[in-house]
Amino acid sequence: MNLEGLEMIAVLVVVVLFVKVLEQFGLLEASYDDSVEDELELSAVRHRPEGLEKLEAQTRFSRKELQILYRGFKNECPSGVVNEDTFKDIYSQFFPQGDASTYAHFLFNAFDTDHNGSVSFEDFVMGLSILLRGSVQEKLNWAFNLYDINKDGYITKEEMLDIMKAIYDMMGKCTYPILKEETPRQHVDMFFQKMDKNKDGVVTIDEFIDCCQNDENIMRSMQLFENVI
Amino acid sequence: MAAGVAAWLPFARAAAIGWMPVASAPMPAPPRDKRRTQDGLIVLNISGTKFQTWRNTLERYPDTLLGSTERDFFYQEDTNEYFFDRDPDIFRHILNFYRTGKLHYPRHECISAYDEELAFFGIIPEIIGDCCYEEYKDRRRENAERIQDDEDNENNNDLVLPDMTFRESMWRAFENPHTSTMALVFYYVTGFFIAVSVMANVVETVPCGTMPNNRAKEVSCGERYALAFFCLDTACVMIFTVEYLLRLMAAPSRYKFVKSVMSIIDVVAIMPYYIGLVMTDNEDVSGAFVTLRVFRVFRIFKFSRHSAGLRILGYTLKSCASELGFLLFSLTMAIIIFATVMFYAEKGSSGSKFTSIPAAFWYTIVTMTTLGYGDMVPKTIVGKIFGSICSLSGVLVIALPVPVIVSNFSRIYHQSQRAEKRRAQKKTRLARIRAAKSGGANAYLQYKRNGLLTDSEEEASKEAGQALVCKSNPTFETQHHHLLHCLEKTTNHEFVDEQTYESSCMEVSMVKPSASRSSSLSSSPHGLSSCCSRRHKRKSFNVPNSTMAAGCRDSMQELSTIQIRERPLSNSRSNLNAKFEETVPLNSEQQPYITAAVISMPTPPVTTPEGEDSASSPDYSQSNIVRVSAL
Repeated sequence: MNLEGLEMIAVLVVVVLFVKVLEQFGLLEASYDDSVEDELELSAVRHRPEGLEKLEAQTRFSRKELQILYRGFKNECPSGVVNEDTFKDIYSQFFPQGDASTYAHFLFNAFDTDHNGSVSFEDFVMGLSILLRGSVQEKLNWAFNLYDINKDGYITKEEMLDIMKAIYDMMGKCTYPILKEETPRQHVDMFFQKMDKNKDGVVTIDEFIDCCQNDENIMRSMQLFENVI
Repeated sequence: MAAGVAAWLPFARAAAIGWMPVASAPMPAPPRDKRRTQDGLIVLNISGTKFQTWRNTLERYPDTLLGSTERDFFYQEDTNEYFFDRDPDIFRHILNFYRTGKLHYPRHECISAYDEELAFFGIIPEIIGDCCYEEYKDRRRENAERIQDDEDNENNNDLVLPDMTFRESMWRAFENPHTSTMALVFYYVTGFFIAVSVMANVVETVPCGTMPNNRAKEVSCGERYALAFFCLDTACVMIFTVEYLLRLMAAPSRYKFVKSVMSIIDVVAIMPYYIGLVMTDNEDVSGAFVTLRVFRVFRIFKFSRHSAGLRILGYTLKSCASELGFLLFSLTMAIIIFATVMFYAEKGSSGSKFTSIPAAFWYTIVTMTTLGYGDMVPKTIVGKIFGSICSLSGVLVIALPVPVIVSNFSRIYHQSQRAEKRRAQKKTRLARIRAAKSGGANAYLQYKRNGLLTDSEEEASKEAGQALVCKSNPTFETQHHHLLHCLEKTTNHEFVDEQTYESSCMEVSMVKPSASRSSSLSSSPHGLSSCCSRRHKRKSFNVPNSTMAAGCRDSMQELSTIQIRERPLSNSRSNLNAKFEETVPLNSEQQPYITAAVISMPTPPVTTPEGEDSASSPDYSQSNIVRVSAL
């Protein structure tokens, strides 16, 4: 480093100091501009559900049941809507050993029928109405909708594999017998063997419903959670 | 954890329908809900303030008081509510815990009151939410320190135990000079000699006129009066050596003592003298010898035993070691950077003092600490620019860690101030406690003297007139006195006051306590049957006011540990959840425990004939039973 270089550096330092002084005077704006937008975010998200009568008409819950459901819902989500992160958080608390976030993601998409990124109380209650008070046909429809990730009417092997992996993820590491890599894949193969009648590699809604209605175990298990509320 | 989102459990179960079609095995049967009752409101009346919540909310945490059947004990049928006679302000937080799953700690509440409420309602404090956890732990620690301080002071101010060895008493004398006059004398004498020694070291170097034979040379006082200073030094070092050896002998753990800072200072203070004694004749190492004399100045650190302020300063510096380290590190970095820059900037100018980078270090240090001696100054413009930047940054780098050190010092200093104040107030506090205790005992003795307890009917009727006057005694008192009377009848000893006890204590100190004590040891539980040392008496006084003393104590200790151990807590829960009949034997079991302990105390007079010791023995029981009555 010769004298010339040092002089240049000295001049540079003086210039930087000068700029700082100007900033202090407010003549030069510092470039921090994302704070304003954050403020607006917070106030926008509030949602009030429709009236009790309307919900009573649309769902198969009684007035009292809707009251209980809403109280629990509002307790956890005071703003009135659940976004995906909160949903994942809540659902994960029920499965502490494993990672429930992937499955919660699929569940969220299944509940968020209008795909606006948040589940309001109406979505929530509609979903529950189908699951708890719906006919077997409706329940199976709902399940198919859950598995069909891209909602194109067909369940492919990849989609099923994703769902299966998500379910096995919820189990966590410590299982007996030990979870192996290929267990979800094997499970998916078994599923497709049972459901895919025409062996075209996808399961359509009719194949699915037909097959499930012929299976006793599935039919019985569908009635399991009737008395949850 | 899931209890916080208990309201969403139905949803989670409903969503499980999504697993059904892919299930590889049939599903288990659902649990049958035994109580299909609708979720009802529960009214909780806490000292008049009514709280209401859903039953399900409370039952989210079944191992707490409110969530289990234990709350049935507090049920009031006539008003159909649960009544608790506790603090409503703190209860608010406890109820919020049930609602939100997070326990908060209000800053304005006293930590012990809060802990008590938590213990009552069966909630472990470890689940306090992150937002309040730091504050809670800090307050807890302060409280623990305060209690520990009190205990330490109590232990220190105990009467000398009769069976303390000479060694232990000597150590006590060294550590707490105000316990005995000998220790105080020793303390002042050593302090005086430290001061004398340090002053001698200083005065030694003052120029003191000329030598009597050689008029030309100026000599220092040390050289002129060499013998006098040598004698003084010898005397001081002898005192210090004796003190060190005494301390070494008296120390309970010699190894720990040798490792401690104060003893190292002591050794360093007296070593130069001895080394000097050995080496005086050898001219070659006299240079090193002179250097060694520098170490004599360490004697001034011996003052830290005498000054609390010095100790605080030392402790502060020790606790701020990391900040000081950071300061040093950043200074070093800055010094190297600026010294390099200044050297290269001033390289060109002629006659510059910046001959090398290390030479520039001196300039950088002097500039950064804003000393500015002026013996080295930059001459080029570039050098001046960088020099000014150097001095500005120096101010910043030094100013940053200093407030941390200052606040640390302030905290420690205030702590010691508080300890001092507590010690000063302790005397009045203890006096008040003693007055309250003796008040209780005196009330009973007064009661007895009023003759309300005499068996003979005539006296009772005669004093009935007097008794009517004293009828203003509340029911609690009368029952309490009746209890004490029963105790007297049980043990065949009586209560008397302090003076009589003191006088008989003198007599009994002749009697060999060991033989008779061992005879009663077999009949009494181990815990309380030891010598009549004040320490144990104090411990029995500290037992809290309920009959579930042992259980509560344990659970409190459990609460204070970091690891959450559910089982012990649930044990105490199950004790209380047990049927009511079971709790009664528990109570009666505690009582004989206490009375048996009392019996074990007055052991010496038990062997002597009844008639003689009816005066002396009650004195023991009185002083102990004073403790019981405080329970």
